Amino acid sequence: MKHMKLTNKHTIIILYFLTLLSGLLSNYSPYIFYATIAILIFAGIKFLLVAFQFMEMKKAHPFWKNILVIYISLFILTVGLILYK
Amino acid sequence: MKENINYKNIYYPPGGILIWIIILLELLTFGIALIAMVVSSKSNPEVYHSSRLMLNSTYGVINTLFLLTGGFFMAEAVRFIKKNNLTKASFYTAIAILSGISFLILKGVEYYEKIEHGIGLEYNSFFTFYWLLTGFHVVHVMVGVIILAFMYKGLKSVKSPISPESFETGAHFWHMVDLIWLLLFPLLYLIF
Repeated sequence: MKHMKLTNKHTIIILYFLTLLSGLLSNYSPYIFYATIAILIFAGIKFLLVAFQFMEMKKAHPFWKNILVIYISLFILTVGLILYK
Repeated sequence: MKENINYKNIYYPPGGILIWIIILLELLTFGIALIAMVVSSKSNPEVYHSSRLMLNSTYGVINTLFLLTGGFFMAEAVRFIKKNNLTKASFYTAIAILSGISFLILKGVEYYEKIEHGIGLEYNSFFTFYWLLTGFHVVHVMVGVIILAFMYKGLKSVKSPISPESFETGAHFWHMVDLIWLLLFPLLYLIF
């Protein structure tokens, strides 16, 4: 089977979907902690999709890829832990 | 244009190393400010919840869609300038400029409504963060739209056309505006 390549068009559809889903989940976020976590994770996925696909960082040296993944993971983890405490 | 830059070299990330230093600094600055906001929310959870509900999350969602659309068209414009298709590249840049302007108009409406209701910088700590974070972001969007307008002019110019490398760097500034908003949007409009 041919390996499917992620294009800009696929990416924008995923980004729209995650944005709308986050908007819907916000109705539950103050009451259900998992909804807050889901919104944060969706934000992280969107961040990485823009960086890796639109900004073509998928082609970059691993240093740049790692720095972006570490940044967004630390950000989500920190926000999640502060909110959970 | 033939892609002759080796992006796998640590010194040549897509867009150039200088724009990436700026992007990382901006992300760090906004990231620290957002974490400070989350820390502050722990001492006033009710104030943050009621204040968040005073924001129109539909505006937030629509503005996110505007910025993402602009980002998509800039990514396509970069793809086409690399194929030397300047007609498509300039058309897509124009759409990205329009989405940036649409973002600014809707943000202006949102700001007007807040000011009308007397919700300013000193209303409470949530709105202090709201005005400062979105205000600085709006300045970035304005600068981004101006950069895109210059890039559009450069694509049309015969005398001094824009180079594909400079075009890609400018596009990266626009994507940076996107990246910052993707962090601001959930924290200001959705989670509290």
